[in-house]
Amino acid sequence: MHERLSFHIKRDSFIHNLNPLTKLVLTLTLILIAFTFPWYWTPHLLVLVAIIPLSLLGKVFREFSVTALRLILPAAGFLFLMQAFFQPVGSDVIFKFYFLDVTQESLMFAFRNAMRVFVMVSAFTLFLVTTHPSELMSDLTRRGLPGQFSYVIISTLQILPQIIAKSQTIIAAQRSRGLDTESSFFKRAGSLIPLVGPLVFGSLMEVEERAIAIEARGFTSKQTKTSLHEIPDPSFDQMLRWVLVALIILSIALNLWLS
Amino acid sequence: MLEKIKNNFNTQTWVLIPIAIGINIAVGQIVLVLKLPVFLDSIGTVMVAALCGPWAGALTGALSNVIWGIAIDPGALPWWPVAAMIGYMAGRMAQWGFFKSWWKVVVTGFVVALTAAIVSTPIAVYLFGGITASGSSFITAYLLQTGQGIWSAVVSTSFLTEPVDKITTAMIAFAIIQGLPKRTIGGYPKPEQVEAEGGTNKNQMYIAIGVVVVLVLFAAFMLRNILGG
Repeated sequence: MHERLSFHIKRDSFIHNLNPLTKLVLTLTLILIAFTFPWYWTPHLLVLVAIIPLSLLGKVFREFSVTALRLILPAAGFLFLMQAFFQPVGSDVIFKFYFLDVTQESLMFAFRNAMRVFVMVSAFTLFLVTTHPSELMSDLTRRGLPGQFSYVIISTLQILPQIIAKSQTIIAAQRSRGLDTESSFFKRAGSLIPLVGPLVFGSLMEVEERAIAIEARGFTSKQTKTSLHEIPDPSFDQMLRWVLVALIILSIALNLWLS
Repeated sequence: MLEKIKNNFNTQTWVLIPIAIGINIAVGQIVLVLKLPVFLDSIGTVMVAALCGPWAGALTGALSNVIWGIAIDPGALPWWPVAAMIGYMAGRMAQWGFFKSWWKVVVTGFVVALTAAIVSTPIAVYLFGGITASGSSFITAYLLQTGQGIWSAVVSTSFLTEPVDKITTAMIAFAIIQGLPKRTIGGYPKPEQVEAEGGTNKNQMYIAIGVVVVLVLFAAFMLRNILGG
């Protein structure tokens, strides 16, 4: 079990060394352009000219392609199939399956949507792989994000694997005592209580202790806090962010203008 | 306004939110193991909303969805506004006193379900053209083939599938909160919202469970009617 839920891979690359906020803006730019730019082939082109080069530049191409093939592609593929079959647009029927028609239009539509989702998830994956969560949070806190938000995100990433491990333990324990998790619907619905109960009450009992612990460390103090790590923000990063924001505005404006 | 948002958050709220997100995700997975036809992935969100207020609930919902999206299923990512609205609405209902007895909790669950259906519709239509990767899209697809408009097809699907899930969620959250010691509840910003009126009557609980069963049967009946002819 991981101690913390993190996808970060430590490397020394151009992308890793960018300021975390720049990377976040870059991710959002890729997603927004994929969804708003009015040209049909935009998401497809983005994969070729942005996602793949960025993963090479960040020296994470191998890990990224494994994730893309194992997780992202199946999800996008499933969406493609659902949409190709069920989207009732167009009249140029390619083939029929019971009451479902696959038309040329629905295929094109499904292909673009699946690619958009692929770009969205890939961009996020690249961001998570190249950015350490605490680095991102301390940079955002320095820029004025309330410290409580950073606490919530970082501690969720810490607690989540623990809670999931706890729920696995509870399922195993209750099964070994003979709890029925496989037979009829009503039996399974009844099994919900002995599984959810211990998990939730066990987790909630920690709340008060944790609250006292962080309170004792000045959690709600209004004083400016100093940071152990300095995260560099060179002028190149600042310039890059403005260029990306301009691209987002351009893409949204074109979308509104042409629709 | 800002004050109203701020009074949702004390140290206990901030500590509860990560744990509530964990509960959302872990219970969502237990339900998958049991193969039940519901999601139940917002129990933590509804608990935070009832104990701390609408804004804390909305934050929990949104974050929980984003983290679910990046950690487990990327397809969940675009739905964060729905999760946020679920938390917000549950918090508002609790504020209006609808989190104090079993029948009121059923009403809360129903209102939350309607809100979720309304918020999720534009996302489903604009982002996915009505067909998402979820299993309930089979119903939408069928309705579309029968010549219904895209908006009405998506809305009818959500109205069929959401209420059972959200009412069950609200009831489980209520049961959990009633099971917590008073001392623990007292540390959250809004303990008075979840104080049970006249004790938590067993009979009331059975009636509430009965309502859910009737709703399930109704949804199944409608589904058979729709798919059968």
